[in-house]
Formats: sequence, C-alpha cells, structure tokens
Amino acid sequence: MDFERSDTQRALLDALDTLLGRYAGTGRSREPAARGAYDHALESELRTAGFLDLFGDDGAGPLEATLAVERISAALGAVTPVPHLLVLPALGLPAHTGPVALAAPPAGEEPGPVRYGAEAGLILLAGADRCVAAPLDPGQAEPVPSAYGFPLARVAPVASGQGAELPPGTAATVRGWWRVGASAEALGMMRQAFDLTVRYAKDRTVFGRALGSFQALQHRLAELSVLLEGARWLVYEAAFLGAPAEASAVAAAHTTAALRRLTRETHQIMGAVGLTREHDLHLWTLRLQALRAELGGMRAHRRAASAARWGAAAA
Amino acid sequence: MADTVGTDVGFTAEEEAFRGEVLSFLTGYQGLDGYFHRRESSAEGVRKLYRALGERGWLSLSWPREFGGMGRSPAYEFILWDEMAYARVARPPMGPGLVAKALMAHGTPEQCARFLPDLRLGRTNFCLGYSEPDAGSDLAAVRTRATPLADGPDGPGWYEVDGAKCWTSNAHWADHIWLLCRTGAADSRSRGLSVLIVPLDRPGVTVSPIPTHDGGRLNEVRFEGVRVPAADRVGAENDGWRVVASALAVERHVQFPPKRLRRDLRDLVAWTGRTGLDGDPVVRRRLSGLAVRVAEVEALALALLGEIISGRPSAVPAAHHKLAGTLLTQDIARAAMEFGNSEALIKDSDVEFMWRQAILETIGGGTSEVMRGLVARQAFGLDSRG
Repeated sequence: MDFERSDTQRALLDALDTLLGRYAGTGRSREPAARGAYDHALESELRTAGFLDLFGDDGAGPLEATLAVERISAALGAVTPVPHLLVLPALGLPAHTGPVALAAPPAGEEPGPVRYGAEAGLILLAGADRCVAAPLDPGQAEPVPSAYGFPLARVAPVASGQGAELPPGTAATVRGWWRVGASAEALGMMRQAFDLTVRYAKDRTVFGRALGSFQALQHRLAELSVLLEGARWLVYEAAFLGAPAEASAVAAAHTTAALRRLTRETHQIMGAVGLTREHDLHLWTLRLQALRAELGGMRAHRRAASAARWGAAAA
Repeated sequence: MADTVGTDVGFTAEEEAFRGEVLSFLTGYQGLDGYFHRRESSAEGVRKLYRALGERGWLSLSWPREFGGMGRSPAYEFILWDEMAYARVARPPMGPGLVAKALMAHGTPEQCARFLPDLRLGRTNFCLGYSEPDAGSDLAAVRTRATPLADGPDGPGWYEVDGAKCWTSNAHWADHIWLLCRTGAADSRSRGLSVLIVPLDRPGVTVSPIPTHDGGRLNEVRFEGVRVPAADRVGAENDGWRVVASALAVERHVQFPPKRLRRDLRDLVAWTGRTGLDGDPVVRRRLSGLAVRVAEVEALALALLGEIISGRPSAVPAAHHKLAGTLLTQDIARAAMEFGNSEALIKDSDVEFMWRQAILETIGGGTSEVMRGLVARQAFGLDSRG
C-alpha cells in the first residue's frame, strides 16, 4: 500500500492549482459576471490542459481525476467537474462542452432542481438499471432561486425515447462515480472551511487569549479533523477501486455526515463574522448544502450501502 | 402529525384568557414578517404593531404600576411573545423590555420621566450597542470610548464617544442605541464600562449595513466625536456592567420563545407532506425525535419563567433553555436538508430560509459556548483555573 502522492500526482495537482489560481478562487466566485453563471472559460482551460481526460489517461486515472475534482471544488470553480472528469469518461461517452446535469429521480418522478440545470445541454439520467444520455434545451429549463452558491433549475422532462439509452448496468456506473465525485467536491470545500476556521481560532483573541487555546474548541476541531481524514481516505479508496456500489455509498454517507457537523462547527466557532456575506466562510458552507441533496442525500447513501452489503431487502 | 401536545399547564385562567385576547389581536397582523424581517419593508409594519401594543398597555404588562405599567406577572409577557413568535409576527422590542426595566432599576427619575412614557406606548425604538469587532462573546473587551469633556462649548457634563459597534440588529430603523462603552482605563475590563443612551440621528453617528447570508441585515454603528450629555448615562460611571447584567436578567423569559420551535416543526412537517417524504420511516423517526425535543424546550422555558416569576436567580435555567432551544432550532432547520431532497434548496421557501436563519441562533444573544461555561461555573462551581 502506498499512501504518498506520486510525483506525477504532485506535478498534476500543482499545475491544476496554478490554473485554478487564475480561473477560480474566492474573488472570481464573487464577481457579478461569474456569480450564478457557468464558467466556460474555466472549463475550456481545464480541457486544453488535459484535466478532463485524466480518467482514461495512461499516466493518470480515476483516482487522479477524483483528486482534481476535489481541487476544482475547493477553488470554487464554477463548472460541473463530476460529469466532466468522472461520469462521462466512466461511461465511455465523448466529452461535452458546457455544463452537464446529473439526475437519478425515483421511478416515475421528474428530477428536482439540479445544479446548472438552466444552462446544461446534456443530462445523464440514471434509472434503475440503465442510464439515458439526453440532450437538453436550456430554453425549456425553469430556473429556481438558489441561496446555495450553485444556480439551480428544473430541467425540461426527458420524453421516453429521447436521447440514447446506454447499456444495462450503466445506472450503477453513474451512481457510483457521482457519489465519489460529489464526495470529492465536498472534501475540497470542507477542507477550505476547516482551514479557515483553524486560522481564525489561532488569530482571534477572546478573554485575553487565542480562541483556539480553549480546550473545548480544540477538541471539537480535532474531532472534525478525524471526520475529514476519514472522508478523504474513504473517497480515495472508492475512486481507486473504481467506484463500486458499496465503497462509493459508504464514502458518500460518511462525507455527508461529516459535512453536516463541519458546517455547524465552523460557523459556530467563527461566530458572528462567519454570518456575514463579506466573510468567505459561506462561499464553501452554502455550496456544501447543495451537495447534500444529490442522489437523495444521506438517506439514499445509507440505503445504497446497506443494499450493496446485505441485499436490496434493506431498501 | 398533530400539533397538540400542550405544555400550557400552570397558566391561570386569567392568563389563558389573555392568550385568547392575544390570538384575536393577532388576526389583524397575519402576514407581518417582523420576527425574521425578511423584507426591509417590514420595519414600518413592526413600528405600527408596537404602537398598537403600546396603546393596549401590552408593552408594559409587567412594569410596576408606579411607572405606568399593568403590574402583571411576567407570565403575561411570556404568553404575548410566545404567540407572536408562533405567528412569526414580531419579537419583543428591546426598548420597553430590557431598556425600560434597566431604567426603572438604575435610571434617574428624570430619565424615567423622559423615556418611559414613549417606551410604554411603543413610540420609541431602541437597539443594543454591545458587540464590537473585538468584543463579541467577550463583552468586557469593549473599546468604544466615552471621554468626559473637561471644557469647551459642550463640557463639562458631556462625553465624546468614539468607536464602533458591529452586528447590531435593528440599528437602521431604531431611534436610540443603548450603548455599552468604556469610561475607565483601557484595561479596566468590566470595571470600566458605562451605559449611555444615544439618539441614532446625533451628528457623528453612522449606521451601515452588514448583509448576512439569510438575506437579513445587521449593522455597523460608528461613533466619531459624538457628543452625549452625562445626563444620558444610565447608572454610575464605570458601573455599566451591573446595569447590563441586571437588564439581561429580567428579559430572559421572552428572548427565545419556544413556540417559534413548534411553528418551525409544523412548517417542516407540512413540507415533508408536500414533498412526499412523510411516508418514509427514516423521516418519521427524525420528525418524532424533533417533536420530543420541542416538548423538552417548552418545559425548560416554563421552568425559566417560574424562576423569573419567583424572583430567584435565573441565569442557569436561562442558559439551559437557550442552549437546548437554539440547538433545536438548527436541528429542525437542518432536517429538511438532511432528507436529501433538492426542493429544500429553493431560496426563500419556509424550510430553506430556516436553514440560513438558524445559524445565527446559537451565536447571537450569548453563544452556546458562553452558555455552557456559565452553567459549569454557576451551577457547579467549576472554574477554568481548576
């Protein structure tokens, strides 16, 4: 077992960080033009530099693609990295320009609001067994107001027979990589919110001492770091194994639980300043909430984990 | 799930009759959004509501009769603001509550005569100027300075105030600020603070918005060379800590009304019905757990009210209630998001707004950490020095 980053991974992530330094970050996410809109320039840069091809790359692979999703999300990149870097290549589908929507609604139901739904030209709909890849007409989408960083919209219903029905088993591929990808996104954002909070605990003085010198807070930060580390390795493991049902569901269930606690604790420790729009904390914590709704959230992740391990009766 | 478990046991028939009056009064104010102030325009509606309450004597329910009050039990105030919270119509105003009660205890007869009638009638509104950028939980670190003027056209008998308050609720529409400021040496901590009443339209006072991510507005209030007569100081110079502490003690029973939680839960349950989540046993189990905790918080609120009515020290029961109540506010608000349905993300729906709003609850009005420390010290005599 080797838990060190390889030289290739380090070089790759350094290059990605440089790119994200120019095409993502807190400043860019706050710019009115970028706010609420898909960042085509970032997507184009990622494509040109080869980051959208990591999944099938000889020198890299799904784990490297997952690490890249984590970084893009940490930098608040306004793109859809999960379908672009993980789901499309895992399905063997060609690259797509512009946002891609993912949905896995219960049988007979329309998907709820999805990220970048108003701009997406392609949707991957995971059914019980097969996945449908269908073109979307952005003009038909119904945007809904969002307070959670990502623009949301209800996409137009996909009529039966519309789009390409992919082979049996592809729905599980979508769900597995979507769980890994959304968890990697959460990891990246959780880490940023956590680091911000640790810095604040060191810098902020209350009652004549550093906030972080209070043992009650030290313990809470330490516990958060355990959750984060657990989430990190579960996500990497699931990616390394190729997003099998159980590992990806366990990673997503744990990450979603960690996310809940991290949101509460970072805001609590940061106090009033963290409630303000001028402070950066909410850029991550609000976006994190949107991830909780993906794929049916915690309830569905847990059910998927138990179904994978003990059979479908648990669902 | 029915909304029926009552904890109103213990109120007298007269008090229950008063609740009936409150409920019928509220029918005229449905739709007023003064609990959360989600719309800037609600300030005017709230001002009118306070005046209507003032005309009925409902802003001075527990004031002693000699100050023009109704001399009733604090239970009446509790019932009034609990029902207001359930209807989401308004929160208790600081002026006739905390400020007026502090004036009665610490103010001069002249100050009482000047402020109490308008406070009683809901004609004047106060905000609290406590927190500062470097004095949130640690209020004794307040730096806003009131310097006595020795000479000049305004002195003696005047202060000059310089500094800044932040995260101040309602400063953009209140008339006065109840200002905690430093009159002692810079390191005098709680021994060198005083309370001044400052009109917000006084030259040198600037109020600017601090937008929060629930769409609401807190404020920064800056003071630059603001002249305040010493006659507007409440209590002795450097005795402000005692004034502030005692003012807090008499208002705890109305600050976190438990029926707000019952309403939050009702809205959440209704939403799970609309989204079809309510048939899921996992969801039902979560909802029933929350319902039990609502009952717990209602019990803690009544325990606190009992202590206040009896005149016993209420800091510990108030901390119990605030800790349990505000955490539950967040857990109810967060349940919808936990159920993993993206309908919970649609901005400004009831359940979505609650999520963003609830973050404030365990921070404002004394953080959970301050409350826990208070319980450990005051209830058990534990001390951080070991």
